[in-house]
Amino acid sequence: MSKDLEHSFVEQLEQHQNIIHKVCRLYTDNYDSHNDLFQEITIQLWKAYPKFRGEAKFSTWMYRVGLNTAITLYRKSKRKIQTQEFNSLEFKLTAEDYDDTEEQQLKLLYSAVHELNDIEKALVFLYLEDKDYREISETLGITEVNARVKMNRVKTKLRQILNP
Amino acid sequence: MDELELLKKDWKKQEQNYPKLSYAEIYKMILKKSSSIVKWIFVISLLEFVFWTLISFGLKDTKAMKRFQEFDADAILIPLSVIGYVVLIYFFCLFYRNYKRISVTDNAKKLMENIIKTRRSVKYYVGFNLLYLIISTVVFMCIEFNQDTILIERMQVASANGELVKLYASIILTTLLLLAIVIGLLLLFYWLVYGILLKKLNINYKELKKLEM
Repeated sequence: MSKDLEHSFVEQLEQHQNIIHKVCRLYTDNYDSHNDLFQEITIQLWKAYPKFRGEAKFSTWMYRVGLNTAITLYRKSKRKIQTQEFNSLEFKLTAEDYDDTEEQQLKLLYSAVHELNDIEKALVFLYLEDKDYREISETLGITEVNARVKMNRVKTKLRQILNP
Repeated sequence: MDELELLKKDWKKQEQNYPKLSYAEIYKMILKKSSSIVKWIFVISLLEFVFWTLISFGLKDTKAMKRFQEFDADAILIPLSVIGYVVLIYFFCLFYRNYKRISVTDNAKKLMENIIKTRRSVKYYVGFNLLYLIISTVVFMCIEFNQDTILIERMQVASANGELVKLYASIILTTLLLLAIVIGLLLLFYWLVYGILLKKLNINYKELKKLEM
């Protein structure tokens, strides 16, 4: 593949890399897995890039490939160097913005999201990223009605995990 | 406030807290090899095609097969091997077509379905081979019983001693046992390999299908 293609890909990815970090944040629970999944998503994006025709925004396209990799293609690699368990809250909370109760609630919420299954996580992720139900349904391959129904179930499930 | 709204508020605040990889670090990543399940399915499937092709070629050179070819059984053996090759080509084309259809830019459900289809084409090929193995064994046994002079002599001796049923039973049971062991081992192998490889995909696909009900 040409150098120009490589350059434009890496440049765009560098700019939008947060999308991949966010997918990794939801689907992995330690530093090494985060990096491993990040790498696999990057490889998948790169492999699919020649067919990316710019019909959709680069970022929109990244959501789809990122989630597909996390949900379907990714296999945990065995080449772990060390496993530092990290809580998803290692991304430091800006504590001054919250009172203790809210911070506590957020901690619980993040760990509750981690307990959801892969499909539910995808719904939550797209919701957090302000995607509408049309885009959620198109990304997952379900109908809009089913996406709404499932989202309500996820909300109930989260409430149950938080208030057992 | 709704739990998810609270989470969303925080999620947005943390945009600045993610690691920032440099251009060079990302560039290094695109040079690495993928370890996705699609790659593994492709490799394992190719190995399966090679394995079964080698088995059929390998068997041809064995002493037993050479002796067997001396029997008057071409009318059965030739169609049997032609069928074997035609089916191999058919399944390989089917597998390759399905493999090429796998696209990471499809929606999640479609992607999973295409992977399952690709896997299924190889699964059917393996199923065919197991069936082929059973049918060939039966055909070979019938030919042996009819044309193998050594066996016929042994049968005549057994018949004179009133042990013909015992001889038949021992040959058939030994063959069945061997066949069962081979098939059992192969099935165990497939169950383990694909069970591990496709566990996550199957769970997630079921979850998506469940939504449609």
